[in-house]
Amino acid sequence: MTQTTPAPAVPAIADPVIQVRSVVVAFGGLLALKGIDLDVTRGERLAILGPNGAGKTTLFNVIAGDITPTDGTVAIKGRDCTFLPSRHRPRLGMARTYQKARSFDGLTIRENIYLALAGHRGRHWPLWRSPVDRRLDEEATEVAESVWLGDHLDTAAGELAHGQKRQLELGMAIATQPDVMLLDEPASGLSRGERERLVELLDSLAGEVTLLLIEHDMEVAFSLSQRVVVMADGAMVTAGTPEQIQSDPDVHEIYLGVEASS
Amino acid sequence: MTARRLLTRGNIGLALLVVVLLAMPNLASAFFVNFVLTQTMMLGVAAATIVFLARYGGMVSLAQFLLVGVAGFMFGNAAVEGGARGLNLGMNPWLAVVFAIVITTAVAFVLGALASRTTGLYFLMLTLVYAVIGFFVFAQIVELSGPGGITSIQRPDLMGPPVRLYYAGLVLSVLVYLGFKALGRATFGLTLQGVRDDPIRMASLGYNVPMHRTLAFTLAGFVAGLSGVLHVWWNGQIDPASIAIGPSLILLIMAVIGGISYFEGAWLGAFVYVLAFTYLRDLPLIDQIGITEARFNTVIGAVVLLIMVLSPEGLAGIAARVWRRVNKPASAAPTAPAGGPSSAA
Repeated sequence: MTQTTPAPAVPAIADPVIQVRSVVVAFGGLLALKGIDLDVTRGERLAILGPNGAGKTTLFNVIAGDITPTDGTVAIKGRDCTFLPSRHRPRLGMARTYQKARSFDGLTIRENIYLALAGHRGRHWPLWRSPVDRRLDEEATEVAESVWLGDHLDTAAGELAHGQKRQLELGMAIATQPDVMLLDEPASGLSRGERERLVELLDSLAGEVTLLLIEHDMEVAFSLSQRVVVMADGAMVTAGTPEQIQSDPDVHEIYLGVEASS
Repeated sequence: MTARRLLTRGNIGLALLVVVLLAMPNLASAFFVNFVLTQTMMLGVAAATIVFLARYGGMVSLAQFLLVGVAGFMFGNAAVEGGARGLNLGMNPWLAVVFAIVITTAVAFVLGALASRTTGLYFLMLTLVYAVIGFFVFAQIVELSGPGGITSIQRPDLMGPPVRLYYAGLVLSVLVYLGFKALGRATFGLTLQGVRDDPIRMASLGYNVPMHRTLAFTLAGFVAGLSGVLHVWWNGQIDPASIAIGPSLILLIMAVIGGISYFEGAWLGAFVYVLAFTYLRDLPLIDQIGITEARFNTVIGAVVLLIMVLSPEGLAGIAARVWRRVNKPASAAPTAPAGGPSSAA
């Protein structure tokens, strides 16, 4: 086990979209996060790397509001969101995807994306369809086309192949045009061609969109991010540009479990 | 365009069925219409609320018959005047209907809110507890239920002849069936199905998951209340034993016999149950093979077991399978326009 070096001091930044301050998460006796500090600026593309069990997804869940931290605070766009339930995040312009695709398997692709759109617009309760729904359906169709699912609009999400589910997951996240996106391993289980399309799609997002990415695929992570944070064992180990991280011997040791050889 | 789209085989079949049912009073005996079919309609509506919660919300409720009973008791208390039992509020019968429905809906809202953070088996158990508590509330608070129930409850004059009650049940059934079906494609129906499939995801999309469950339960309670008012009109009386755990289970059994994921199944299950309950004892030789009235529940239990083994989706599931097989050669053409809405957009 490596000696975890103290987390690098967070530089004060001008326009923080996400501020995580000494966040601790304990599951029973297990400390999943041991005091994380993280600042993310507007428009930043940040990749979080780390071996399984490092606490990456837990950190995401804290930022997205699915988990309330045991200690510490989370602020989004300057607003304290530590105890704000996840359902208030879309209104703050935040959208996320999950590591294991969470689609509504009994509903069609169009309906899945419709729910993402309707959830964001606050259209939750109508008991009958109206012209508004037709417009939302049209928007959902456009979103489905943008993630290459235009041919499967009426297919139940439960019948999709793994890669298509990831595309749908991404479609539901971008549907609301969020300005903060949390993507948990968007490329896992995708074929090479699908990965290239994914990178292309994420690259095409507007510059002001803040992107947080958990990714095991180094190629995807390094090609999409400007800054890389490495976590291990519930703590932040190091941070830097993709080039710095690639050449960091500590990272090699943590990530691969071997001494850096080259 | 929309008129063309309404001309599906299912809709034509439904329309034919409704026409036949409307003609039933002229075709069948008064007993069959006013006893078997009327009961089928009332119980079918109540069972449809179970299907609604199970199919869209993933919630299997044992409390629906309690809500039927709440509406019945409330109507009895409100409408009866000068009797020895109940509150004897002596309201106008139509005002009493409104009173009964409002109270039932409010009760459903409170019960739904309390259960809104549970799912699956825990929801089932909690609603079982509701049914048990509800029974004891009415059994022990005799001011509400009159010692031994409320009797001689009159229905409004408009509903006087029994056949009108049958028509009322038929109209309500058609409205509830079409309403629940249409709701599945409307926003609230879709959000509810989203909550069923993945509540955590729904929350991260901005939805208030417990509120969706609560309002679904409230809507189901409202509809169960309508069924309860018809039921008490038909029965003319209501007592606590009629909403005990036994009848509550039987309503769920009807939904299971019919097929808990099909709205058609609610009425189908109710029809099969009422039919068996009414005519089983009249079958020749039935006593000789040991099926006496006291063993009726054993027979129903065996029927449920048989259906669960043959088709976990109930009779409607069997019908759907047969329908698909019959239509297989013909279905190739009609499935082609599935992409129609997208190409039109």
